Amino acid sequence: MAENVTAQRQTPGAIGAYVKNVRDTAKSFWEGMSVTLSYMFRKPITTQYPDRVPVPVRDTIPPRYRGFLEVDMDICTACQACERACPIQVINIDILKGDGKTTPKLRMERFDIDIGKCMYCGLCVEPCPTGAIQHTREFEGAVMHFNNLTLRFVPDPLVPAVPYKPPKGADAFPRKPLGEITRALIAAWDAPPPPFPTKEQLDGDKGAAHGKPKPAGLDPTAMGRQLAAKALQVKEDKPALQKVLEEAMAGTDCGDCGYPDCKGYSTALAYGKDTSTEKCAPGGADTKAMLETILVSLKTGKVPEAPAAEAPAPAEAKAPGAAPAGDAEPSGPPLAKTLPKDELFKHVLDAMAGTDCGDCEYPDCEGYAKGIVYEGQADLDRCAPGGEDTRAKLFKIMLGTKPPPK
Amino acid sequence: MQQWLDSLIRGWGHDPSAWPWTQFVYLAFMGLFAFAVINFAAITAGIFSWAERRVAARMQSRVGPNRVGPGGFLQWVADAVKLLTKEDLIPAESDKVLFRIAPYFMMVGFACVFVALPFSHRLVIADMNLGIFFILAVTALIVVGIIMSGWSSNSKWSLFGAIRSAAQIISYEIPAGMALMIPVLLAGTLSTQGIIRAQGGWPWQWFVFDNPATFAAFFIYFISALAEGNRTPFDLPEAESELVSGYNTEYSGMRFSYFFLVEWGNMWVMSALATTMFLGGWQIPGVSAAQLDAMTGGRAVVFELLSLAIFVGKTLFWVFVVMWLRWTLPRIRVDQMMNMCWKYLVPVSFVSVIFVAGWMMVVRAAPAVGTVTHWIMFLAAGVVPAALFVSRVARNIRDTGDRFDFTSNW
Repeated sequence: MAENVTAQRQTPGAIGAYVKNVRDTAKSFWEGMSVTLSYMFRKPITTQYPDRVPVPVRDTIPPRYRGFLEVDMDICTACQACERACPIQVINIDILKGDGKTTPKLRMERFDIDIGKCMYCGLCVEPCPTGAIQHTREFEGAVMHFNNLTLRFVPDPLVPAVPYKPPKGADAFPRKPLGEITRALIAAWDAPPPPFPTKEQLDGDKGAAHGKPKPAGLDPTAMGRQLAAKALQVKEDKPALQKVLEEAMAGTDCGDCGYPDCKGYSTALAYGKDTSTEKCAPGGADTKAMLETILVSLKTGKVPEAPAAEAPAPAEAKAPGAAPAGDAEPSGPPLAKTLPKDELFKHVLDAMAGTDCGDCEYPDCEGYAKGIVYEGQADLDRCAPGGEDTRAKLFKIMLGTKPPPK
Repeated sequence: MQQWLDSLIRGWGHDPSAWPWTQFVYLAFMGLFAFAVINFAAITAGIFSWAERRVAARMQSRVGPNRVGPGGFLQWVADAVKLLTKEDLIPAESDKVLFRIAPYFMMVGFACVFVALPFSHRLVIADMNLGIFFILAVTALIVVGIIMSGWSSNSKWSLFGAIRSAAQIISYEIPAGMALMIPVLLAGTLSTQGIIRAQGGWPWQWFVFDNPATFAAFFIYFISALAEGNRTPFDLPEAESELVSGYNTEYSGMRFSYFFLVEWGNMWVMSALATTMFLGGWQIPGVSAAQLDAMTGGRAVVFELLSLAIFVGKTLFWVFVVMWLRWTLPRIRVDQMMNMCWKYLVPVSFVSVIFVAGWMMVVRAAPAVGTVTHWIMFLAAGVVPAALFVSRVARNIRDTGDRFDFTSNW
């Protein structure tokens, strides 16, 4: 009997199939519509990002999330390991060198991270000796102005950051709570970019001399010092200061700096509305160096000395008579031959950048110096933060020669 | 409307029949009504586009557009502005004249329906004595627009969509027409107002519960109307996964928005027609049409508005059902669509017409049979399934450990 019923169900007649189809249709409507209607009367489960969430979304994502980068300048050693590690040159650090006595040996005028370019690979975080650079959990990168996407961890280049000296053997460093610094920076994201000079400022002296194209072969460092001296004289007279600043520029009025012309940019610099020195693309490194010289001497109140022995500039470019005594020691045996090892060690250590970055594959600067003096390390090319400067010094001390060109 | 105009003019102390230029007054008012109707259609279509997205979102446990205006209500205005200001692209290889005018054919076919569609006891543009016939005739113009747009686009997706649409609409006109014949038989008139007057205010006086055949005819009409309006599960002419967007693939900007205006506006048309033909239209429970006719003054205005509210309420409910169906059912295949029409809807609609013809003879001989059947149908096909359905929905919510929550997270 049961078999019979099953057989009938499996092979229904034409009418049975017809009726079954109608019944199935009605049933699927009934079931389906009851399900969808029941969902209509429930609470939607989606979260209404960004302003109707119970906690900020960044607090709900995992702690090791790679969001915007953050640098705690208080524990940054200026080793530039992060800048070198970055595969796409997102990090820009400008180092201001001092003599190590009246001014610190290294200072950071600029520590910019272009969040718009960053690919969040985390390679910069790995080599940092103190953990100063870290990924935060910030991720909301919508800004009103594209330029604001650059995080400037040294807010004012005229107040350069002094590197941190980690205590010997320390393995923990007093870092600010992660995220605070970046959050403070991105809070200013929707602020307008540096304003254009007003019409009055522009119309004030229309016929004023524009910056002239610089003659080829001009020594930018010497000119920078000249201009700086001029600028110091007219420090309070902003229009005159503007003209001095404009002289340092390429004078092409290309508008690449974001201002209408050279005058606009130099006016913004003179009035302190802009502090960035690298916006003049046609002027390039020369203009940047000159502008920096001027701005720094305005800040410090004195024209910087002509480059001493540590300057990478070739000797013939130096202003005549500006070279202090003891600069030229081209001949004579190297210090390595004359001094005892302990004295030599001090000289070698002094030549290094002193950031303990570890890039030389020694734990710190002391290690590398010991390696050179006591262990016969012949590679004098390892101090990356010190750069050409340290390299020249090391070659002079150890071999008495100029370093080979790179 | 002519009577209404005449009485209006007489109210001002003039006799319209004495005027030599009455025709121009009528013409001016025709233009005014046409303007009002097109705007009504465009605005309801816009609002439905928002409502549909909110309904869809809730059914998918989402929130939906809720930022522009209260509850996101002004979203449709933002979208309309966006669509109207977009570039009106015309493909280089298209038949440019046909391509340009095709959307207007659809608009005309769609807007003409409103001429015979009632809104309340007195509010109807023209109470024609062949109203239903007129509506069926002008809706066929939409097919012309669809084929025209598909053909003139010179795109294979568009042409496929247009051909599918033609096949679908022409097929489903037959069951739709036959199903609409049944209320016409019962009422003895083609006039939309006449058909509403033949029904009553209470649900058991509606044609849908008149007898089993009318109940079937209601669903046949509703399914066919879905198919004619290219609504899911019959949206084969614009099946995104197969045809990009079907007949309107090549359109952009304002012309594109016309197609969607017609699609969403059609939801009102199909629901209003279902309300008119099967669900008692604007009839107020407990107040007969004759009583409404006899009313004057403020009382008449109040009851007029009440009848308008009843009609709009019923229509909006069925608009919601159309949306609800769209977010419930998947699209059916072309062969299934044709099967459903020719093997199920067409035969059943024919049988229903014949059944109703016989039934009317029975009821005339014994009126008590009709009354009893009304009540049985109302209870067995209306109240009981509705109660079962509500309990089923409640159980669906309860079984998943969820609870009824319609107000939070808007």
